[in-house]
Amino acid sequence: MNAFLYGIALQWRLDMRSKSLLVACYLVPLLFFLFMGGIFTSVMPDMKNTLTQSMIVMSVSMGAFTGFPPSLAETYGTDIQKVYLANRVPFCFGLATMFLSAFLHLAVTCAAILLLSPVLFDAAPPAQLSAFLPALALYIAVSLGIGSALGLAVPNPAKLAMAAQLVFLPSIMLSGIMFPASLLPDVLRAAGYLFPASWCYQLMLDGGLRLENLWYPMLVLFASAAACILLLKRLQAARA
Amino acid sequence: MRGAIQVRGLRKSYGGRKVLRGLSLRVAPGEAFALLGTNGAGKTTALECIEGLRRYEAGEVTVHGRAGIQLQSASLPAHIRPMEAVSLFAKWSRTDIDPSMLEALGIPEMSRKQYVQLSTGQKRRLHLALALTGSPDILFLDEPTAGLDVEGRLALHRQIRALKAQGKTIFLASHDMAEVESLCDRIAILSGGKAIFCGTPAELTERTGTKYRIHIRTDQWERTFETGDIEGRLAALLGELKQKNIRVQDIRVDRGTLEEHFMELTGRSEQP
Repeated sequence: MNAFLYGIALQWRLDMRSKSLLVACYLVPLLFFLFMGGIFTSVMPDMKNTLTQSMIVMSVSMGAFTGFPPSLAETYGTDIQKVYLANRVPFCFGLATMFLSAFLHLAVTCAAILLLSPVLFDAAPPAQLSAFLPALALYIAVSLGIGSALGLAVPNPAKLAMAAQLVFLPSIMLSGIMFPASLLPDVLRAAGYLFPASWCYQLMLDGGLRLENLWYPMLVLFASAAACILLLKRLQAARA
Repeated sequence: MRGAIQVRGLRKSYGGRKVLRGLSLRVAPGEAFALLGTNGAGKTTALECIEGLRRYEAGEVTVHGRAGIQLQSASLPAHIRPMEAVSLFAKWSRTDIDPSMLEALGIPEMSRKQYVQLSTGQKRRLHLALALTGSPDILFLDEPTAGLDVEGRLALHRQIRALKAQGKTIFLASHDMAEVESLCDRIAILSGGKAIFCGTPAELTERTGTKYRIHIRTDQWERTFETGDIEGRLAALLGELKQKNIRVQDIRVDRGTLEEHFMELTGRSEQP
């Protein structure tokens, strides 16, 4: 346990030294929030009611789909993993520490948005924090689960960037965070519900954690966890 | 006596290509042993099978003692610092860090750098430090000095000799004959997926080097003669030179380098 906790703390420090992760998890999401928050709330004053949640979905999606998978692919697609194995470090160690570290980074970004949006843009804070926070944690976990599967499945950086965009763009365009999903054509609105962003955005807005709005993100979370286990086994078998 | 490493009938193939075809060898505790072979002979595969990093189809591998592994192609996260890597692996090994070992390998002097900023030599030393972090009894080194300059190579050789002096068993894979000759007690030559020779460097010379070479430099020419009868040939050559009134400036007699014996042996074994 000591080694595992040290590994998480170390991964946190390594992430802080990685410019690409800092850009994807902090710089771009927070700049986007500061810039677009002002535009959204002045063009559409109603967005003050949803700004915090929409900017959080945007930030988590960006960090988890575009920032996190390349670091994971670097660890599992190179000789780093071989060195870990040679030094008696469990095969899942990289994934576990990187997942938890990224979770913390994204939580910090979300906390900044949560605290700053009422101050800067007079945005409405979440009605029920006790329901909002679990919904937020679920979205971060689901997104990182998908990001993990992407990073383990696609080791090629160019293909990985493309695959990440295929998840990231629909997640933010079809989930209703930029404009109300009701304005979308039926087909696109239905397609939007394939992505956990749509579900978790609603969860964070209405604050009601019920089976009918929880089942899909939970399903995706378990499916991505299962995919990660299978991918890790495949990678380990390929190494041997 | 129980060997530190015992390998019997090790077989491994990639797809249809058989890389190891029944490799057998034994390494005694405290011995420095080298696995020699040309590029692609299967040294790394053999080493990784013995280390437990690679599955094999058949055979038996026994390693008695705690193993430290330095891989040929190794990497670490770009932003990790040397001491962070050492601490991480020490925690997983549940062992204390040996400051004298780190000092000897020059780890403290590179501690402020990130992995990506280290030179090839520094990376090699760091990976050796990581292999030594768990206080291993047996040290596996795969091409430990590949890519190093002369200074780095000699420094690493000093470290390896010091480890041998501490009683550690060293199993080295290399294609560098000079390195092997200067570091190892015994060698095995891997060719065609099998150990075609296993013994001391002197035994290898004995086995292949039946011919002596006589290098003679005179005031008129310089030539090399090969012979199995050193005494007779040398006496005849000197008599002939005296008779022709040719002045000898230098004479050297040798039995070839380890490299030449290696080439002779692997050349022979690769013939159908």
